[in-house]
Amino acid sequence: MSALRLISNRTSQHALSNSDYTWEYEYYEYGPVSFEGLKAHKYSIVIGFWVGLAVFVIFMFFVLTLLTKTGAPHQDNAEPSEKRFRMNSFVADLGRPLESERVFSRQIAEESQSLFHFCINEVEHLDKAKQSQKGPDLEGTIRFQEGPRNSGMFEEDLNYLTKFNIPNFVNTEQNSSLGEDDFLISEPPIILESKSVTHSSHRILD
Amino acid sequence: ENISDFSLNITDCAQVVVPEEVFFTVAAAGILENLLILIAIVRNKNLHLPMYFFICSLAISDMLGSLYKTLENIFIILCKMGYLTRRGDFEKKLDDAMDSMFILSLLGSIFSLLAIAADRYITIFYALRYHNIMTLRRALVILAIIWIFCGGSSIAIALFSYEAATVIPFTILFPLMMFFILCLYVHMFLLARSHAKKIASLPTRTVHQRTNMKGAITLTIFLGVFLCCWAPFVLHILLARFCPHNPYCACYMSIFHVNGTLIMCNAIIDPMIFAFRSPELRSTFKKMFCCAR
Repeated sequence: MSALRLISNRTSQHALSNSDYTWEYEYYEYGPVSFEGLKAHKYSIVIGFWVGLAVFVIFMFFVLTLLTKTGAPHQDNAEPSEKRFRMNSFVADLGRPLESERVFSRQIAEESQSLFHFCINEVEHLDKAKQSQKGPDLEGTIRFQEGPRNSGMFEEDLNYLTKFNIPNFVNTEQNSSLGEDDFLISEPPIILESKSVTHSSHRILD
Repeated sequence: ENISDFSLNITDCAQVVVPEEVFFTVAAAGILENLLILIAIVRNKNLHLPMYFFICSLAISDMLGSLYKTLENIFIILCKMGYLTRRGDFEKKLDDAMDSMFILSLLGSIFSLLAIAADRYITIFYALRYHNIMTLRRALVILAIIWIFCGGSSIAIALFSYEAATVIPFTILFPLMMFFILCLYVHMFLLARSHAKKIASLPTRTVHQRTNMKGAITLTIFLGVFLCCWAPFVLHILLARFCPHNPYCACYMSIFHVNGTLIMCNAIIDPMIFAFRSPELRSTFKKMFCCAR
């Protein structure tokens, strides 16, 4: 680096004049550095830097882990086929046919967000229909850790979820097909059940 | 060769030497890998998307970094063998050119990572309008602006590198960009969390608390890799500018070749984190190699 070379040129004038050690590609041209009387270990900057970097990366990891603590989504007990139809038709409503892979990959970005809204809306919609049903109060995250109340229904939900592929933000145990590619890292791996274009009267959420 | 005559103390920090075979293998692997990615993206029409163009840009920066280190080593060898004079004018100009290539590579890497993060951010927060916001033409314009800026800055920094005024902004830019990229991704995570909570907070069946570790692990890996590979060299530049005669600084600077090798390792790891995670790109590779046989 030229910065290092210019510094060495200056210092070489102060140092022994018959020196020939200002070879710019090797970096021991800083002249004789006295190592007498060092209080700390001579590699202390090296050790300190790497330890600091490791601590920072681990700290960042913990912060990110805390931020990504989510609960697994569970859908109500609607008919799977009806749900699937709704999802397909909802996506189709975006107005673009899913013919080619290229078009497909362009749309999945839009569909991912809209599917999220769709999930939320669908659950809300069904929830309104089933107001009487009272599950555990799930507002506090602490309550998430309480054991399953209705384990039988839970299994049904799990089975249902295998057909309902959503972006991998919220990781479900069965989501093995999406498990490999994280949404944020590759293109959003939306897998639609069918690519046929059907029309329905579902509104497009924005 | 007569450097050892000037080391006054037997406990000084000798240069940590990386064997040349290791050095060249790592460099060649980095260059080859990134070249393959460029070829794959150019050949497959399905990959002519903004996202892949940003990955291309990252691959180019990585290739430049490895190329710089390789050329530098070749010149050291040529100097050792006596084909090049040590203080010639031509060599100094060549050295300047190579310095600017290195800074171009570093700046290009940072801005490419920033572009990839911004692209993902727009994908998530403006999903329905993504296709209109990030057209192919705009992506190419953004890349052109990034590379012109990086090229200009690298030449300016290489020419004026003895000024403290260039070293300090250069080393501040690095953590600043990292922090900004981190903020973008954190915001994306927060959105995911709030959506998940909305879904889960309805009186549905039981919900098990789960930590989505995958996102955290992936993000930590690629920011961590970038930091661990580039930060040692940036610190070297800082120390070389401000405390070259301090024994502690001198000991840090003695591991210069290891820092250089780390930069080339970054060129090898980056494609694995970004490019190879895409199934489309992987299948393009398989096709390329199957047809070659």
